[in-house]
Amino acid sequence: METARPETIAQPVGGPLISFAPYIAIGGILIIVPPFLSTYFQGIMTRFLIFAIFTMGYNVAFGYTGLISLGHAAFFGVGGYTIAVLKLQYGSDLFWIGFPLGILVAAVIAALFGIIALRVSGLYFLLVTFALGQLLYSIAWNVKWLNSPGMQGIAGLSLPSFGIPGFVISQTSFYYLVLLISVICFGLVYRIVHSPLGLALVGLREGEARMRSLGYNTWLYKYIAFVVSGAFSGAAGGLFGYYNYLISPTHLGVGTSFLPMCMAIIGGVGTLSGPIVGAALIVFVENFASLVTPDRWPLILGGLFVLAIMFARQGVVVYAGRLWNSFGYRYGSIKS
Amino acid sequence: MGAMDITNLAHGVLYMVGAYVGWTAAVKYGAPFGVGLLAGGLAAGLVGLAIERGFLRFLYKQPNEQVLLTFGFVYILSNLCLWVWGGWPRMPFTAKFLSGSFGILGKTYPKARMAMIVIGLVLAVVLWWLQDRTRIGAMVRAGMDNKEMTMGLGINLERVFAMVFFVASCIAGVAGVVGAQLLGVYNALGLEILLLALIVIIVGGVGSIQGALLGGLLIGIIDAFGRALFPKLAMFTMYLTMVIILLVRPSGLLGRKD
Repeated sequence: METARPETIAQPVGGPLISFAPYIAIGGILIIVPPFLSTYFQGIMTRFLIFAIFTMGYNVAFGYTGLISLGHAAFFGVGGYTIAVLKLQYGSDLFWIGFPLGILVAAVIAALFGIIALRVSGLYFLLVTFALGQLLYSIAWNVKWLNSPGMQGIAGLSLPSFGIPGFVISQTSFYYLVLLISVICFGLVYRIVHSPLGLALVGLREGEARMRSLGYNTWLYKYIAFVVSGAFSGAAGGLFGYYNYLISPTHLGVGTSFLPMCMAIIGGVGTLSGPIVGAALIVFVENFASLVTPDRWPLILGGLFVLAIMFARQGVVVYAGRLWNSFGYRYGSIKS
Repeated sequence: MGAMDITNLAHGVLYMVGAYVGWTAAVKYGAPFGVGLLAGGLAAGLVGLAIERGFLRFLYKQPNEQVLLTFGFVYILSNLCLWVWGGWPRMPFTAKFLSGSFGILGKTYPKARMAMIVIGLVLAVVLWWLQDRTRIGAMVRAGMDNKEMTMGLGINLERVFAMVFFVASCIAGVAGVVGAQLLGVYNALGLEILLLALIVIIVGGVGSIQGALLGGLLIGIIDAFGRALFPKLAMFTMYLTMVIILLVRPSGLLGRKD
């Protein structure tokens, strides 16, 4: 797969102000604008951030390590199911318990699946993760403990409580919570990608045999990437449960696994900002499409996806970055 | 088809297209079963051919892109089917001359099921014969192992690949029409069939027709017994089998070692 290099390699163009300007602008918009939006649009912004986290995590395995998984919804859904089961069976919606526990359970499941799925590579890996995801789907469908009475899935969730007397979280503050968590996740992914570990992962993607001959335990590195990426998915899933008020087996299934893959590819595989841009594009287009023609949304999603694969394999971010850099060359402080 | 080194996740949807078209021809327009079979096969074949000519042929030797692309088509085609045929499921239909049952070894057995078994077996044998014993099969295998060399020998690989893809899609369509005898047609069918096919392929081993047969047999039996013995765990036994087989033999029962 022809993927973009991490940004460090293609960076020093334009002055620091110019190259950081887009981040500052986007960050500013994300902080300042939401309170002025209607609850509906706040919800969409929250959804976008949640999927940005999901896709960032997915991208650690997919973009940087080259592991194509079609079962990441399993970890996403497990994160959601953890907080949902806590609420349904134990009546607790405390954020400090549910959210970390969701991440933990997702990481444990990823650790288990990783042992099975990483026995094979390439295409088989995709098939196996796909089937494992569907395995969880069928479990969630059939086990009574995981379903609200009389339905498939768990309904009646709410925004989390924080154990602070007199404080009830509003949708706006939940948005800021999600924003904070996504910034932390972005920072974590940034650290991972720029650490020796991240470089080793990219090395794996580019040539596993070479890395092995350099003495790396390639299996272990892939395993770490897979579990880390599962943990991020779990975090996103937990937040999604709070946001969506409902978790159903669909959130473990292949349809949900397809989303981060779509977002990563459209945004830019193996880039830091690609997942965010991809998530934004898909969530906003989805929302727009479901206003106009709700029944045709899968068709549009599939079409976008096919177009991205055929014509924009490096993703929107890389093209936009190139444009921006040429702008930097022309007007920036550093002469090329 | 694994044999062509193309991973076509849209195969299940082609099955569904075939089933829908066959159903429409046979039930709505009252065409004879053979015509339905032909129509379903042809429709799926043409859709498959369009995908191959329009998109997949630019992506040979890029397995990841193939997977992603065809998965995009799963979405597109299922939604188109939903558009054309609507969401309500179609009942299983039985061709006239296949209705009823006949006696075998003192027991009665429905003719339609027997026909399914026969068609399946015939297809399997023909496929195996095509791939392992004919010139066309040799061309496909050669093209898979070394594209440049094969083309250097004056074989028009583009055409061979397009043809193989067409035939493979046709078979998916025919299977859809035959399967509709028992299962009917509904919109989630594409994904379900795909999942089933993937499990069979994982268990049997990619790129081997014998493996697919063995895997299909094994999974079919395990699923049937699983459903009978532990009805609550419907799909579960199948996945469990897959996981166990992967742990023991990662490349499937009869897969090539790589």
